[in-house]
Amino acid sequence: MTPRQMKLGLFLWATGHHIAAWRHSDAHVRAGIDIDHHVKLARTAEAAKFDMVFCEDAAGLREANVQIASQTSRSIGFEPISLLSVLAVQTERIGLVSTASTSYNEPYGLARAFASLDNLSGGRAGWNLVTSASPIEAANFGATGLRPHADRYARAREFATVITGLWNRRAAGHDGESFSVRDPLDVPPSPQGAPVMVQAGASDDGKDLAARTADVVFSAAQTFEEAKAFYDDLKGRLAAYGRQPDDVKIMPGVAPIVAATRAEAQAKYDALQELIPDEVGVALLSSYLSISDLWRYPIDGPLPELPEGEGMKSRQALVIEQARRDGLSIRQLARYFAGARGHWRLVGTASQIADELQARFEGGAADGFNVMPSWFPGELDAFATLVVPELQRRGLFRTDYEGRTLREHLGLKRPIRN
Amino acid sequence: MRKVEAADADMVIISDSLPSGEPSISPFEATTLLAALATVTDRIGLVASASTLAHQPYNLARRFASLDIISHGRTGWNATMRQNPREAANFSRPEGFSDDDFRRRAKEFIDIVRTLWVGWEHDALLFDKASGRFHDPDKMHPMDFTGEFFSVRGPLNVARSPQDSPLLLLSDLEQADFDFASRRADVVLLNEPKPPEAKAACDKLRHRAREAGRDPLSIKMLTVADARQEPDGASLEALCLASGCDGVVLTVQPHPAAFEDFSERLLPQLKRHGLIEAHPGKTLRDRLELDKDGWP
Repeated sequence: MTPRQMKLGLFLWATGHHIAAWRHSDAHVRAGIDIDHHVKLARTAEAAKFDMVFCEDAAGLREANVQIASQTSRSIGFEPISLLSVLAVQTERIGLVSTASTSYNEPYGLARAFASLDNLSGGRAGWNLVTSASPIEAANFGATGLRPHADRYARAREFATVITGLWNRRAAGHDGESFSVRDPLDVPPSPQGAPVMVQAGASDDGKDLAARTADVVFSAAQTFEEAKAFYDDLKGRLAAYGRQPDDVKIMPGVAPIVAATRAEAQAKYDALQELIPDEVGVALLSSYLSISDLWRYPIDGPLPELPEGEGMKSRQALVIEQARRDGLSIRQLARYFAGARGHWRLVGTASQIADELQARFEGGAADGFNVMPSWFPGELDAFATLVVPELQRRGLFRTDYEGRTLREHLGLKRPIRN
Repeated sequence: MRKVEAADADMVIISDSLPSGEPSISPFEATTLLAALATVTDRIGLVASASTLAHQPYNLARRFASLDIISHGRTGWNATMRQNPREAANFSRPEGFSDDDFRRRAKEFIDIVRTLWVGWEHDALLFDKASGRFHDPDKMHPMDFTGEFFSVRGPLNVARSPQDSPLLLLSDLEQADFDFASRRADVVLLNEPKPPEAKAACDKLRHRAREAGRDPLSIKMLTVADARQEPDGASLEALCLASGCDGVVLTVQPHPAAFEDFSERLLPQLKRHGLIEAHPGKTLRDRLELDKDGWP
């Protein structure tokens, strides 16, 4: 029997995951309007045998303050279902996953789009279910205010029930609280049975929904203990829904910077951190904390006491925890989170990075990782040519695809069709 | 599709449901198929049907702006003005809308999408690494719209596309839609089965366009004909002349045999007769000799 191997996703983000990535001399600054760039990245990941590429999404700008927004590259990009449709015909094996919100879509429409993508790609599509927490998005959909957290999740639960029913060809005729659907899906079933279901919510509601419906869970954790606690918590919830621990793959985000020597990697990281304007860093930190006036506090002072908001609860807790633990000032925290948005940052040689990944994988804190290169294409190339071969040498990662579909890559069962 | 492109057809229109209201039998939803086709063709225009009931205007505006960038300016949106009761029932609208409500909603929807498409000025993106200015904030315009059916702040989170606005095709028109179509459409598909009726509709639309202060020739009128019933170029040429239209949209059933007959027999014949010809220019607007959209 093949020993357990880790799963790897490539988290696409046009210019790179670091907030200042677009300013890096090596970064492709026009990435957000260049489809060929995205095709190239997906092919690089496919050549390195990644399980999947993954697109984040928001139906609106990511930053309300136009002066701040104009200093980042994040206000423009490709709509992800169009992007993945292109990648479906321009790649052969790699899985293709996109975020789409349950807050501003209808299940019949998304079921069609993802089933279509699954057919186009020969069974490689996945859907990352999110509920939208941003008031900027809400304002594009007629909402006068953001819905409360619990309501968003009630809608998401119903959405997941309806969409999996449509994909699995169960009888239609749903008439519920938020949605009604009369007919079965008018797109034929795909080679994969149903697209892979991905989730990332880390709140209690989020974890429970993931335990019920997800095949893959993306998470964010700084320390081994945090990662392990999340992993055990989520896997522990599966039994209640009649599922086995191996039915869900947990893949924390990791933002590596890799070079031939530790000092060289550190120098690359430091140079990138220097490119973050303070006002951009503070604005980004404010959004994770769901407050708007962080800039009023002294930038070299500590984080003020904060009330719990209706925004991203889990990310807020993570930032506060980090600030208290390491005694960081607002500026230090802002720089820290601007780099990897709260995800695990690794700076070092291929062997050092492989050690860290191996420890979390073998220590029962991860089934794999969602890799977030700091800038594209350079840091993806570095990971693919330095870290992936090191993981392969250690027997921790595949040297070729086991199958054709994303479910086969991930070692997931086909969904049961009633 | 490459055969259709090689025959110099201007565009393909991908339907998303059958006119009868029966569900589509295509394995692909129209906009996802368009994206895939965009990367395996070079010149042909690609138009996808997408219903105003199945989408939110912000989401659909993003989809088409992206498709226009992906296809390097070859994208169009075919928006039907008539609701399909079957679709309403699958999109949490079991009771549907009244005809009037749906018409007002469709117009509001289309205008929001068109406004979102031009929310970024042409030169808004600066890409200036040294100064840290990615775009010029003064050249990015939110729309801050509140209407009867939708409210949308904007702007779009997709850059201005190569055509500024993907082409807007309107189809399934009723008399009450003519004013709107004459002001907004780049292309109108006329479903009138007989040439005299098509000619009447065509004349009326051009007349109303002129009244609205628009060059009546800036709308392309295409009459719809069934590829199975049009044996040759002569009959299609006669149809075009008799209906006063700018061209013909041939419907082909989504079966391999029907498509083969269309692309291997009918299209080469039309080309031999000089009824279709290659147009210079890269974008679909260039091909159809349409201006870049100046509205609003």
